[in-house]
Parts: sequence; C-alpha cells; structure tokens
Amino acid sequence: MCSGPIQRIPLVIAHLTGIYPRSENAVGITRAFDRGKASREDVTKATQTDLTNLIAIQKAAGLDLVVDGQLNWQDIFRPFSDIFTGITPGSLSRWFDNNTFYRKPVVKDRVRLGNRTAIDLYFRSDLLPNKQKKAILPGPFTFACASQNEAYPNLPDLIDDVAHALREVVLELEQRGYRYLQFSEPYLTSTTNKTNLQFVKNAYATLSRSGTKSILHTYFNNVEEIIVDLLNFAVDCIGLDLYATPIEPILQYSFTKELNCGCIDGRNSLIESAQDLGSLVEKIQTTISPKALYISPNCDLEFLPYQIAEKKIRLLTELKSKVS
Amino acid sequence: MNKLFPTQEIGSLPKAPWQLAFLRGKTIEDSDLAHLKKWSQVIGFEAEEEVQQLLKTPKTPESEKKMREIVSLFGIRFLEATGLDYIYDGEANRIEMYEHAIRNSQGFQFYGHVRAFDNKYYRKAACVSKAGFGKPYHLDEYRYVSAHAKRKVKVPVTGPYTLAEWSFNEYYQKQLSGKYSDLGNLKLEAKRDFVLDVGKELLRPNLKALVDAGAEWIQIDEPALSTRPEEVPFFVEAFNECTAGLGCRLSVHICYSEYQQLYPSILELKNCSQLALEFANRDDEKRSGYKLVQQLKELGETREIGLGVSDVHVNTIEDPQLISDRIIYASNIIGPEKIYVNPDCGLRTRSWDIVYQKLNSITKGAELARRKLTS
Repeated sequence: MCSGPIQRIPLVIAHLTGIYPRSENAVGITRAFDRGKASREDVTKATQTDLTNLIAIQKAAGLDLVVDGQLNWQDIFRPFSDIFTGITPGSLSRWFDNNTFYRKPVVKDRVRLGNRTAIDLYFRSDLLPNKQKKAILPGPFTFACASQNEAYPNLPDLIDDVAHALREVVLELEQRGYRYLQFSEPYLTSTTNKTNLQFVKNAYATLSRSGTKSILHTYFNNVEEIIVDLLNFAVDCIGLDLYATPIEPILQYSFTKELNCGCIDGRNSLIESAQDLGSLVEKIQTTISPKALYISPNCDLEFLPYQIAEKKIRLLTELKSKVS
Repeated sequence: MNKLFPTQEIGSLPKAPWQLAFLRGKTIEDSDLAHLKKWSQVIGFEAEEEVQQLLKTPKTPESEKKMREIVSLFGIRFLEATGLDYIYDGEANRIEMYEHAIRNSQGFQFYGHVRAFDNKYYRKAACVSKAGFGKPYHLDEYRYVSAHAKRKVKVPVTGPYTLAEWSFNEYYQKQLSGKYSDLGNLKLEAKRDFVLDVGKELLRPNLKALVDAGAEWIQIDEPALSTRPEEVPFFVEAFNECTAGLGCRLSVHICYSEYQQLYPSILELKNCSQLALEFANRDDEKRSGYKLVQQLKELGETREIGLGVSDVHVNTIEDPQLISDRIIYASNIIGPEKIYVNPDCGLRTRSWDIVYQKLNSITKGAELARRKLTS
C-alpha cells in the first residue's frame, strides 16, 4: 500500500505506541488547574515543556519514528469530541483491565469531520522531525466499540462512518507531513468476531492511503485467533502485545506484512532485560521473517510514572542495538 | 445477631473540612466551623469544644495526634447517629485504601504519579523486594474505634489481590526471569507469587494483630478483584492463607464488577461468611439490579449477602420504601436471615448531608422491611 516518500527502512524500527505520561511538574499543574489554582496558560506551558523534552528524549535515544506523546489528550478518544461532529464525552468507563478510565464517547449524531483546525491542537506535527513523524489514532473498531451509540442502528454502520471521518483526519495528517500512522485497536482482540472482522476490514480499506505507512496495533489481549484475518487487511504492519499473545502460535504463520513487536511492558515498572527481549525478538525475526520489524512498548507508557517511562525508552534503544 | 436485616457501613466517609484545613496547615474558615457546629448538634458529638480549641492551636505532632483521634471519634458518632448496627470510623485517618497500607509495609517503592483519568492521578508503588509486614497499620485505629464505639465494630482492610493489582510487580517477575519463554505466562506466574506473598507475609500479620486486639469482624475490601477473572484463584489462595485459623468473622466487599466472572473460584473461600456487593447502581423500577441475587444463588452462592441498597454515585436519596422493597426482593430469593444491608460502596465522594440522609434512609428502610416481614 505504501509507495510515497518513505525514508529508507532500517532493519529494525524503534518507536513508541501510545500516550506518554505527564511529568511530575505537569501533574502538579494540571491538578492545580482543576482546583482553580493554575491557569490554562500554565497547563499549556507545562505541556509544551513536556513535549519538547519528549521529542528530545526520542531523538537522543535514536528512535526511528517520533511521536508527540499525545500529552494533551485526556484519553484516546477525547480529541475527537472536538474534531468530529456528533460526539460528546460521556461517563467514565474502565479502560480494559487497567486502573485507568476514559470518557465514553457518546455518539449522538452522524460522525463527521467537523473542526479541521482542532487537528493541530492534538497532533503537534510542527515540532516533529520530518520523515520521522508518526501519528497515533484510535482504530475505527475500537472507537465504535468503546462508544455509547445513540445514533446508529448498528455497530457496522458506526464503524463505517468513524472510518470515513478518520480518513478525513488522515488526509489532513498527510498534508502535515506524517508518513506513519498507527491505529490502536485493543478491542480487536477482546470483543471481535468473524462477522465484525469483515466490517473492520472494510474500514481499513477506507483508511488505506498510498502515501503513508499504516500500523494496526493490537494490545491487552491475545491476537492469535484473528491474526490470519488481519494479515489480509489493507495495512502495512500488524502490531502485537507480546505480554498478551504467546509467540509460538504466531511463529507458524507466513507473515506477509511488517510486524510490530510490543515487547517492552508499558504496564510494569520493571526494566526488562534487553538480552532476554532481544532473544525473543530475534526468534520471531528469524522464524517468520516479516517484511520489516518494528519494536515498541506493548501499549501506552502512560500507565507508568514519568521517570520509568524514560527508562523504558532507553531500554528500547538498547534492545534495538541487540537485534539490529 | 438475631435482628433481621442488620445494617452496616461499607467504606469510607468524606473528610471533614476542618480536619483537612488543620492537617494541611490552612486557615480555618467560618464554613469549617459551621460544619463542625452543625454536625456536632446532629450527631451528639461530645468533642466539639475540644476541636474548637484545637483549631486555634498551631499544628504540632501532639495536636496532630489529637486531631486524628478526634476525627475518628467524629466518624464513629456520625455513623452511630445514622442508626447503623455495625460501624467503624469512616476510615477517617486513612489516606485512601491503597497507599496507607503500602506505605506501612515492606518491599515497596513509590516512583511517581500515574493518571487515573483526565487530570486525576494516583501514586502507584512498585514491589521491589519481597512483600512483607512493616507495622500493624490499622491497629491503633482499631483500638481507638473499639474503645469508643457504642455499636458493634467491623474493621475494613484492603485485600491482598487489590494491593498487588494496584502495584507494579518488579520483584516477583525478576525472580522468574528466564524461566518462561512466553512473556504473558511469566507475568501471570509472577503475579500469583506476588498476590500470595502479599496475603501471607504482609496482610496476615496485620489481620492477626487486629484479632489479637479483639477484632471480631474484618471486612476484606477487594475492588480490583474482577479486573482479571483468570486471576481470581490467586485471590482465593491468598485469602485462605492469610485468614486460616484467625478466629474472627470475615467478609469480602467487591463492587462494580461482573460478579459472575468470580465463580466458581470464589466458592472456595474457606473463611468467608459474607459477600458485600453493589446492587443499587444497576437497579431500576423492575428491580433489575437485584436479579443478580438469583444469579448468584444459581452459581452456588450460599453465604450471607451484604446487600447494596443505596447508589453512592448519585445524590438521590433512596427513600425507606424503596430500600425496603429492595431488601424484601432479595429476601424472597435467599431468605431474610442471609441479608445484611449497606450502601453499595463507600460514600466518601458525597457531601456530609447526602451521606447522612442516605445512611439514615437505609436504617429506616431496613426497619420497614423488618416490620413488613414480621407483621
């Protein structure tokens, strides 16, 4: 699907896969903001400082793709209450098996791209290095499943409209120089079935673009039962959470796409052994020979305190040096 | 207790504004004093003047200790005034249900904050060495409550699964490093070891200290229990280990869960006489929330049920008639002798006015149900 101006692909591509934690300074200021003790400008300034630091950390670590950390996203769906029409943030719901919660998007009307200028508030392309820009979006299936649908007669219709609305965002992101797009799809491994998969496949056909590489990243649950189906989706790369998906069954498949190994645990502060992870990744690499290999945390690093997240980035660098 | 439908507290109360102002070293506002005056009158709080004097003094280790005793007494009298049969002190001196326990135990280190949602964060500790007993972190609190309470006392204690689940597991995962080729299995086995040690090494000495001091009923709080259904057996094993031979009554409080996922493992709890659960949150005029009682019965549940009859997330006061209807509905399924009555969960997020009205309505509703059943 990719024929655009992609940078030369290194043997192993290291990158981050989700929302990055806020620094202790930003934690303090956002808390103060809620209590009326800090201004919106204070929050913006703290977020900007965190963003500058995060980009510097990624550059220093030699990550191949650079993200903005979604530092002003209150959860994976919230920006789309501003960007799309038809959606408002609803009540708190648990985000899978984490002690973390999100506001359920309440779909009250047809989902459409509404506010193009809001895209720049949530995707900080201006600060990311050219040719390494990666944006992270909720996948259409996850978006639809996590929502409270009050407007569509059925889930497939909602998935379809979300995909079309996301496509509009993708076009905007392309114009802003993004060449890598990650669609986060944790729901694909938890609630999907074969019937839904066809609708999801159609949604990814809608999202397909020739100028960008697309990564469909699954996490929190085992992808084993649907991996064959995903290999037929119109995406360049499939991402796995190696803490949820056992590798032995995956090794049996002829892997016709690029593979993202979510091998650094974003939900435990233990800094893993680069040696152990390296052995695992090499085994996957040599057995299934994906078209390209990406390495990353299995999920967002926002489940970790800030100082631990930084250590995980350094581990990613160390791991890359072992498997490249 | 032979009384039908005994009423019980289930969790924490809000913190009194004058308590927070004093402990944070802030100026005592007129509204703080008004709160103290109003509630002292309502609940017959004997230490109002003592608090007023204390609020005029600077915060010192001695005055802080005194304040901590007084707020415990305030919680006791507040709960007694609502008419509850089983009380504690509203966990008046606990930071919250996780951090208090972890900070007073061995093997944990705090690195920083993790976001819960929006701009709300919590501190999550990492277990960096073997989890163990630090000090009996509820003992002084229990001694004070038991010495001052005029009603029967039930001690709430955070359970082993929740303490482990809400922590990072570094130590036990490192211990198993290299023993599993699959990262998921490695994490799962390490979790089992972690939960078991929290039960055996950290929690059991705490429970034993409470029982040795005279505690007759301990409620193990496990809000995280249904997070990962495959790990429920870890909790069961840890619970059985940490409570074996303790010689006191034990119950478990769980809320906001798919309770069916806990079965059949949870039937293997050996020393648990009651499950206190949330029901009101999921109820409607058809009593849909309480159909769960029937489902639990069909899953083999035979223990007492602590019946949540008041939704702690809304300010609506469920009137005694509604409370009574809910009790009678459940009573018709499992029998009146197996029902205790409580709010769904702790009421700390409600105002003092709402908490008082809700608890008072619960006790009146239970009385109404008793009368209906015996008339």
